Amino acid sequence: MRKEDTVKLISAEGFEFVVDKRAAMVSQTIRNMLTSPGSFAETQLGEVTFPEISTTILEKICQYFHWSLQYASDKGRYKKLISSLQRAGTVP
Amino acid sequence: MSNPQKKKNFQIEAFKHKVVVDPKYADKTWKILEHAIHEIYNHNASGLSFEELYRNAYNMVLHKFGEKLYTGLVSTMTAHLKEISKSIEDAQGGLFLEELNRKWNDHNKALQMIRDILMYMDRTFIPSTRKTPVHELGLILWRDNVIYSSKIRSRLLDTLLELVLRERTGEVINRGLMRNIIKMLMDLGTSVYQEEFEQQFLEVSAEFYKGESQKFIECSDCGDYLKKAERRLNEEMDRVTHYLDAKSEAKITNVVEKEMIANHMPTLVHMENSGLVKMLLDDKYEDLGRMYSLFRRVPNGLLTIREVMTSHIREIGKQLVTDPERLKDPVEFVQRLLDEKDKYDSIINLAFNNDKTFQNALNSSFEYFINLNTRSPEFISLFVDDKLRKGLKGVSEEDVEVILDKVMMLFRYLQEKDVFEKYYKQHLAKRLLSGKTVSDDAERSLIVKLKTECGYQFTSKLEGMFTDMKTSQDTMQGFYASHPELGEGPTLTVQVLTTGSWPTQPSVTCNLPAEMSALCEKFRAYYLGTHTGRRLSWQTNMGTADIKATFGKGQKHELNVSTYQMCVLMLFNNSDRLSYKEIEQATEIPASDLKRCLQSLALVKGKNVLRKEPMSKDIGEDDAFFVNDKFASKFYKVKIGTVVAQKESEPEKQETRQRVEEDRKPQIEAAIVRIMKSRRVLDHNNIITEVTKQLQSRFLANPTEIKKRIESLIERDFLERDNVDRKLYRYLA
Repeated sequence: MRKEDTVKLISAEGFEFVVDKRAAMVSQTIRNMLTSPGSFAETQLGEVTFPEISTTILEKICQYFHWSLQYASDKGRYKKLISSLQRAGTVP
Repeated sequence: MSNPQKKKNFQIEAFKHKVVVDPKYADKTWKILEHAIHEIYNHNASGLSFEELYRNAYNMVLHKFGEKLYTGLVSTMTAHLKEISKSIEDAQGGLFLEELNRKWNDHNKALQMIRDILMYMDRTFIPSTRKTPVHELGLILWRDNVIYSSKIRSRLLDTLLELVLRERTGEVINRGLMRNIIKMLMDLGTSVYQEEFEQQFLEVSAEFYKGESQKFIECSDCGDYLKKAERRLNEEMDRVTHYLDAKSEAKITNVVEKEMIANHMPTLVHMENSGLVKMLLDDKYEDLGRMYSLFRRVPNGLLTIREVMTSHIREIGKQLVTDPERLKDPVEFVQRLLDEKDKYDSIINLAFNNDKTFQNALNSSFEYFINLNTRSPEFISLFVDDKLRKGLKGVSEEDVEVILDKVMMLFRYLQEKDVFEKYYKQHLAKRLLSGKTVSDDAERSLIVKLKTECGYQFTSKLEGMFTDMKTSQDTMQGFYASHPELGEGPTLTVQVLTTGSWPTQPSVTCNLPAEMSALCEKFRAYYLGTHTGRRLSWQTNMGTADIKATFGKGQKHELNVSTYQMCVLMLFNNSDRLSYKEIEQATEIPASDLKRCLQSLALVKGKNVLRKEPMSKDIGEDDAFFVNDKFASKFYKVKIGTVVAQKESEPEKQETRQRVEEDRKPQIEAAIVRIMKSRRVLDHNNIITEVTKQLQSRFLANPTEIKKRIESLIERDFLERDNVDRKLYRYLA
């Protein structure tokens, strides 16, 4: 994968998750962040820091991104993922 | 979303946000955001962390400080916009628009960045409190602080209008800049666009074009003016495409149309030497086409053109049909009518877009003036006669059809179609009997067209005439086949005419020479042998004869003469000199016919086979006639006095008209009876209307005549008057 296609998501503990840009854009907030006019720090460096999100949560989020891209049309697996997220103690 | 599982001492609780205890929390967070907004407006946004700002805005809203955030946003933005407004006001001259444009672009960019950061507030706090969303807020603040600022508002409008004026006078302006500024106004709202620009624009444009049209009218002719108007119109449409709101197109074109066209329509159309009439006369297709497409845009434009055209055509037509010079040659007359029709057909086709209403106007005008001259039916029939005799010689079949169709078209305009029928029958009879038609197919084709137009009744007699000709041919063959001994003597060709079909002529006396009368009797016997119960009478005024003559110096000629002339000439076989009285007694031909016959034999140069003493022009009772031994002609065959269809002389015309009137009476009566039979009771005015309508396809019925017919029917007990209401009539079975 080329550098331009990826974005780095950094958790509170400093863990770096390098994900596909398309995956990250599943989140509207991140999408706005990356496509906003004006030169915010994020777009320049290509990395977003989340000082209030822990690593485990961020990891699940990234998994969700990829899952969403792949299985957006398939409802069956959705329930499985929701229950797995609930077990991890996150807020949907 | 929580899923409490009662398992040992393991409990799962819903996620709770950290409770904020810091009272200054809101202020601190707001300061961060305020600072960020400043930086954004000062083009210093790089280095800011989106995530941090987003989180801060999110937290403020979450902890119920959304109101503080919002009001803070409003005041910060307003402050910035006031600064911006000042810098725009300070811009000099031409840089004003550019500065405005630049600042607007900056503002938009900043607005978007701010909106992105404050997205959470936009999505949650604002809908629930029904405040204006961030983007819209940004536009409204811009409008109120920049556009509505007293120093900018009018300057903006003036600058825009001045640029438009400059472009109209031929200068090149910065269209891209104009487009951006106008787009800005449009983005701020349709009402802003209209109030801050469009309304004034339209007013100023109206003034401009009022003045311009005045100037042009005074110094251009009609064609030029129309060109200029068209150009201006196109220019305005171009202007709209390039930098105005599409919705303005209809409005500005209306203005131009009104000022340049609608207000000056009468002047243009009636302009001396270049107006509509002149264009029509000169076939100026391009100018006419332009006038048509321009006038179509304004109310009553086409109506104006149509009215002037109609009155012009009627004028010209009237002149044509009442000009005594023209009336001398009927064929020329009709040809001129056809030429005029062709001319206007092509004008309507090429310049007026084949507009049906114009076609109708043309048709009604032609109908009007053709019927002004009562001899039109006769002339049209003569035209056809001329064409069928010689005019169509060598013309291809399609061209023949074209000419006949044109004749039919003129025929349709006639109101007195029965007069035409009468003349046509006469002319056709003469053509058939003298064998002078150029093409049998053309004749039949025309009959078919008449049948399609007027129905079977109209043409049944005409077709009867053709049938008679054919039957006669067969009869002659049969006659000679059964009488082989007659092969030696004079050859007889008989046309047997059914009385009803052919135009009636009163039969006159005429003594045929002995050889001929014997032959004729043999034929009569033959014919009546096969057709019992019929009666034959010889029509000596319609026949022709070919006789071989030897003159004094031995020159031989074959003479083609009428039957009367043949009778006269044959008398000279038995004597050298005959007086008028003797000829009259021997032949028993009526005096007027005989005189005419002798005139053509003796007094026409080059055809004078007889000599008359004295050599006067008139025929006197005691004049003497001799064979002209000095008769000379270049040709072997000499034709004397053919029976050609002439324009009728006055008394003949009166006679024909009278006959037509007579024929109309029974037709009117039949129509009245038909109507009364179905309606039973009807009042006077209604009868007149109905009868006129029914007879319309043949002729225009005269109300006085209809009244007379009603009276006559009452006398004959077909109708009766109502006892109470004198205007009511009742049908008597």
